[in-house]
Amino acid sequence: MTKPLLDVEDLRVRFHLRTGTVEAVRGVSFQLGRERLGIVGESGSGKSQTGRAILGLTPPPGEVTAKRLAFDGIDLTTASKRTLRELRGGRISMVMQDPKYSLNPVMTIGEQIIEAYQAHAKASRSEARDKALAMLEAVKMRDPGRVFSLYPHEVSGGMGQRAMIAMMLVTDPDLLIADEPTSALDVTVSMEVLRILDELVTERGMGLIFISHDLKLVSSFCDRVLVMYAGRVVEELEAKNLREAQHPYTQGLMRCLPTLANDVRPLPTLNRDPSWAL
Amino acid sequence: MLDIQNLNVVYGTGRLRVDAVKNVSFHVESGAAYGLVGESGSGKSTVLRAICGLAPITGGRVRVDGQEVTTPRGKAFYRTVQMVFQDPYASLHPRHTVDRTLSEPLAIHGEKDAEARILQALREVGLGPSFRFRYPHQLSGGQRQRIAIARALILRPKVLLLDEPTSALDASVQAEILNLLDDLRRRLGLTYILVSHDLAVVAHLCERLLVMQHGEAVEETTADALRSGVASNPYTQALIQASRGFTRADKPSVQALAG
Amino acid sequence: MAGSPLAEQPSSLRAWLLSPEPNSRWQARLGRFYLGWRAFTRNPLAVVGLGIVVLLILMAIFADVIAPYSPVAGGDLRTERLLPPSETFWLGTDDQGRDIFSRIVHGSRITLLVIVLVALIATPIGLLVGTVSGYLGGWVDTVLMRTTDIFLAFPRLILALAFVAALGPGIENAIIAIAITSWPPYARIARAETLMVRNSDFIAAVRLQGASTPRIIMGHVVPLCVSSLIVRVTLDMAGIILTAAGLGFLGLGAQPPQPEWGAMVATGRNYLIDQWWVAAMPGIAIFVVSLGFNLLGDGLRDVLDPKAAK
Repeated sequence: MTKPLLDVEDLRVRFHLRTGTVEAVRGVSFQLGRERLGIVGESGSGKSQTGRAILGLTPPPGEVTAKRLAFDGIDLTTASKRTLRELRGGRISMVMQDPKYSLNPVMTIGEQIIEAYQAHAKASRSEARDKALAMLEAVKMRDPGRVFSLYPHEVSGGMGQRAMIAMMLVTDPDLLIADEPTSALDVTVSMEVLRILDELVTERGMGLIFISHDLKLVSSFCDRVLVMYAGRVVEELEAKNLREAQHPYTQGLMRCLPTLANDVRPLPTLNRDPSWAL
Repeated sequence: MLDIQNLNVVYGTGRLRVDAVKNVSFHVESGAAYGLVGESGSGKSTVLRAICGLAPITGGRVRVDGQEVTTPRGKAFYRTVQMVFQDPYASLHPRHTVDRTLSEPLAIHGEKDAEARILQALREVGLGPSFRFRYPHQLSGGQRQRIAIARALILRPKVLLLDEPTSALDASVQAEILNLLDDLRRRLGLTYILVSHDLAVVAHLCERLLVMQHGEAVEETTADALRSGVASNPYTQALIQASRGFTRADKPSVQALAG
Repeated sequence: MAGSPLAEQPSSLRAWLLSPEPNSRWQARLGRFYLGWRAFTRNPLAVVGLGIVVLLILMAIFADVIAPYSPVAGGDLRTERLLPPSETFWLGTDDQGRDIFSRIVHGSRITLLVIVLVALIATPIGLLVGTVSGYLGGWVDTVLMRTTDIFLAFPRLILALAFVAALGPGIENAIIAIAITSWPPYARIARAETLMVRNSDFIAAVRLQGASTPRIIMGHVVPLCVSSLIVRVTLDMAGIILTAAGLGFLGLGAQPPQPEWGAMVATGRNYLIDQWWVAAMPGIAIFVVSLGFNLLGDGLRDVLDPKAAK
């Protein structure tokens, strides 16, 4: 077995609040190779905080501890700020939920991609410009030259999210963390965005962490799925074996969705067992 | 129960003119559940808002219970038609307790016996009396949506307009709310108009539905037809395909339509 | 949490207040109030501000008991005029031989009167104009807001001066003048808050229940504007006190021999070099009370309007 791209052991995220300490992530461990890993859970399960903690983006007053948190052999818990800054946006990138909030509204899309590129690669402006245009083409923008000079508010949600992906992938990262990248988009648009993401990840041999609340989507998109509940991983399984899930929470999540295929009524609801959270 | 003929909704004039709904017609029987499906900008929510008076009716007619609606709507209209909103975090007044939220419609319509009716409304949506004096911030998303449903039902309306009632909720909570809505419709003989982007949700709750795109009605179909995958319109096909999840095989039809 | 609904012993009062399942309207309201109070007391400066304001109120109520001398009757002009602070006259005496301490204590009544009346007149006007204008929009909004703009265009003291000049000097006219000039900013704030909530789903929901426009404004919009307005009014109090004092100083507010702080500073001006206490003592009183209201306002803002803090 080759060395994992990302090695996480006993990751914990705590928030020290006035009312006491809240542990959002309670001992998450996993290893990631150059594959597509899905992290699924409902709101409050700690899935987003896991993604943020890997990138060192935990908002204050959060505190991150881990027995091991290593990216390609680099220990992220002890790495200098400088090293972290170089990794972030360079070799590890993140795509957020809503392009409206993650693109700078007063810079054109092209400028933002160029800036992202030049922050991590020594390149002349014209080189960076070529690279940005190539990237916009890679995310299947119909007219890259035009999109290049548009401001974020001038493009649709789907185009914005594709621009965001272009910006995040322009530095050729080894690991991409996508936090609900399509939940602000319409279904047909999100399928297209996912298809582009899938192609790029496969072509470039990246590792992908796909964080989502949508079990159906994650299982059809990823190779492996971690199911999180109350800050813990309750089950880890191959995406294709999702139907054979063992944990009652995973089973419950699977069943409670209405499907076109079969009409069950009333829908089975999830009876939360307090022991799951232990 | 509800009859809509050539409904048009136009916002703004001149260069800023937006045709949000173009010539949409449909008919809903009493006690039926009718779905409006589409993506953002399809005008599905605008149709609901036009029915209840939150959006202007520029052309066409809306008949409720055989009567054409008046602008502004009268109190009698609001006793017949009520609405449940998408985001339960935005549809409850942050400074009002559940008690105040539920007693407001009773006070507006001069109903007596508020005490008993509030407790009954809470019971109907599966919440106990212990919820009565809580503020919205003391409730979970699912509980808030139950309160919003209780508020809509407390005047005993015949028609309930549901605007994406579960899309802001977690999957397991969505199942609970869908079951509740299903159950209430049967018990109280309600008529539903459900707006959603999720085909599975619409097919679960409704018998018939209208697929909308860019403000126009694309196709009227039935839940059974959707389940068997029958759709004459390519856009409906694309929606059915997308609702099945991500597929690696290339589907040019979806791509062409989504751009 | 669960069980014992009637646990009202002092030891469990806190638990009762913080109960996530209140049993009555009152418990819910008190619980909310208690949470706010806890947040407020976390800010020591705000508590100091509250202390100063409470002290001012107590001083005004018990002025007759606290003050050792009459605030208006002059003393012996040969032996008791312009005396420095001593054991008999704690803060010294003024040019009429009156005890400055007694005058400041009685002056707190005038200050408090100004504050209360201005708050009672200006706040409702501002609130009503702002919410109506914001909620209705259209030409109502245009008319009301342009009127507000006209009032806003003049500096408060200048406009108050003009009003007093027209109405004649006196404390009542000063109060009216200050009230008339202080509502426009409140209308602005109330309108801004109204614009934020008027298109929200919970307002749409109450409209769909058939509520009338006045009912929506009074019952649903106003409660959301009140907290930021309370904060603003409290913070404005310092300015109102200063305006009242300024009018007094110019001889357009309270008339002699009323112990108004601003007027007292004005008389002390003549003796500023040799008998500094005559002007300084009421000046300090104005400063302390203004500071108290500012600190209180800051604390209230943190509790009532977390968005605006910092």
